Amino acid sequence: MKKIIISVLGHDRPGIIAAVSEVLFRNGCNIEDVSQSILQTEFAGVFIASYPATLNTDELRGRLSEALDPMRLSVLLCEVDPAGVWETPPSEPFVITTMGPDRPGLVAGITELLARFGVNISNLKAVFRGGDNPHQNTMIYEVDIPLDVDQNLFREALYERGRQLGLDVSHQHREIFEAIHRV
Amino acid sequence: MLTQIEVLSTLEMLKNEHLDVRTVTLGISLFDCASDEPARFIDRMTSKIAALARNLVKVCDEVAVRYGIPIVNKRIAVSPIAVAACSCAPDRMVEVARAMDRAAKAVGVDFIGGFSALVQKGFTRGDHALIEAIPEALSATERVCSSVNVASTRAGINMDAVYLMGKTIKKAAELTRERDGIGCAKLCVFANIPEDVPFMAGAFLGVGEPDSVINVGVSGPGVVKKALDRARQANPRLDLGQISEIIKHTAFKVTKVGELIGRRVADALGVPFGVVDLSLAPTPNVGDSVGEIFQSLGLSSIGVPGTTAALALINDAVKKGGAFASSYVGGLSGAFIPVSEDLNIAESARRGFLSIEKLEAMTSVCSVGLDMIALAGDTSAETLAAIIADEMAIGVINKKTTAARLIPVPGKKVGDKAYFGGLLGEAPIIPVPGADSSAEFISLGGRIPAPTQSLTN
Repeated sequence: MKKIIISVLGHDRPGIIAAVSEVLFRNGCNIEDVSQSILQTEFAGVFIASYPATLNTDELRGRLSEALDPMRLSVLLCEVDPAGVWETPPSEPFVITTMGPDRPGLVAGITELLARFGVNISNLKAVFRGGDNPHQNTMIYEVDIPLDVDQNLFREALYERGRQLGLDVSHQHREIFEAIHRV
Repeated sequence: MLTQIEVLSTLEMLKNEHLDVRTVTLGISLFDCASDEPARFIDRMTSKIAALARNLVKVCDEVAVRYGIPIVNKRIAVSPIAVAACSCAPDRMVEVARAMDRAAKAVGVDFIGGFSALVQKGFTRGDHALIEAIPEALSATERVCSSVNVASTRAGINMDAVYLMGKTIKKAAELTRERDGIGCAKLCVFANIPEDVPFMAGAFLGVGEPDSVINVGVSGPGVVKKALDRARQANPRLDLGQISEIIKHTAFKVTKVGELIGRRVADALGVPFGVVDLSLAPTPNVGDSVGEIFQSLGLSSIGVPGTTAALALINDAVKKGGAFASSYVGGLSGAFIPVSEDLNIAESARRGFLSIEKLEAMTSVCSVGLDMIALAGDTSAETLAAIIADEMAIGVINKKTTAARLIPVPGKKVGDKAYFGGLLGEAPIIPVPGADSSAEFISLGGRIPAPTQSLTN
């Protein structure tokens, strides 16, 4: 069965997920994955759904817009192409955390380094609110570091980049966090 | 997905609260090295330690980097030398200690424990030879640690051994007098010694243990103190039941980290994992003190009235948290109160809040005993033995481990300060009221019988 990926963006409010899933249901689609996030006042949702061969995706896009336009939400719909999917190399999960004063280029500076080492970000939560509270100016990257990356080289490069950006950087194995917080 | 609070609170424990793995201790059995030729025993021992411990430091450093958790000390514990090298005469026992020291140095570990004997019920020739060799062995080596178990709940107290250890401590102090008797800092006298302690000076590999094993000692007094401070600041009306819960949760987290790291090191070395010993073990660094925890509990200083109750609460909560976190908690697991190794405890002793009597009372509810206590250099062997006997009695009757690590500092008197340096710290010399009044009792010798608590079958 073919799959589509749909993203929905706009001001957060009650009823967004209900509206999208209602249209998908009425058009014979089956939701396989859905994830939503709210940043400040804005909603972002991503859906992956399988759909029947008889369904025209342009028509589905139209029906979604019809339902979501009155809520001033943007919708993007693509077919999932099974070809060309990036395959994760054997990796270990780590958590990289930064704390430090906000300035332009922090996310770009860290992620450029991650990309150069082939480190994939599986989850990212970053907040920059200014002020002195480190908890208000943090980036938490959950990443997968390929086994063939030289850990020492990577760590040194990461810490050096942190120094350049004025950030306090930590780099821990994810298992530590799970050991401490999960029963 | 991890939450922000999970990530940030963990980092706080690591960065500001001294969460670390205090020691990874590789146990190595020496029973297959036994020989009636001391030189052959030494050769076999040296080769075995080199073979098994060659990568210990490297692997620990790699795991520490990978997990972002410091492994502060890497150590070795061997089978009790009095058993493994039982045919050696005292001078040969000293040779064994020197060889242990060299082997430890060669693989880069800071301490090797197991220059030990188990004599709770009586002596073998090997036990006598080892104990006679202890003073010279400890003065001639840097890294060798020694322990002698003189009592158990099952056997009672071997008072001949207690007296002998009083004399041995005096000699060990004398032979290291230029360093304030530091030889005694590497010598523990035990009741009910556990066979899997990773912490020095009591670490050795018991006779029921495997050929090699990784035991891990985790600590974290700083983590406990900060957790208490935060919780009490957030809610000043917390009662002691709620405080116990906070210590328990903290001990749980620390133990989980210790077991994770220990298992990774054990896997990498191809050695079985043994136990996590969760002990609040201080170092002479600010923020890494057991004494400070008492202040966080509302006592002006460790040692003032209320201290024993607070220690009982801490020790119990630490054990409960540890026991939930791991099925393989062992060793001493509780709170250590080594006077010289904790700035705050040493200061309390200096101010007179911590007398030897109060310390003894505290050992009935802490995990070990009279630890790193500096006494006047003219304290007699009989008085030392009597202090040890009292401490052993607490362990034997309460079915717990107790120990005495006493240092009669040569040439110094009450009120002076003893300096040991490094992790061993410094301590004021405290008085022993009624010293020199126990010689007749101690000279009676024999074995104090096992109590009825031993009749559990």
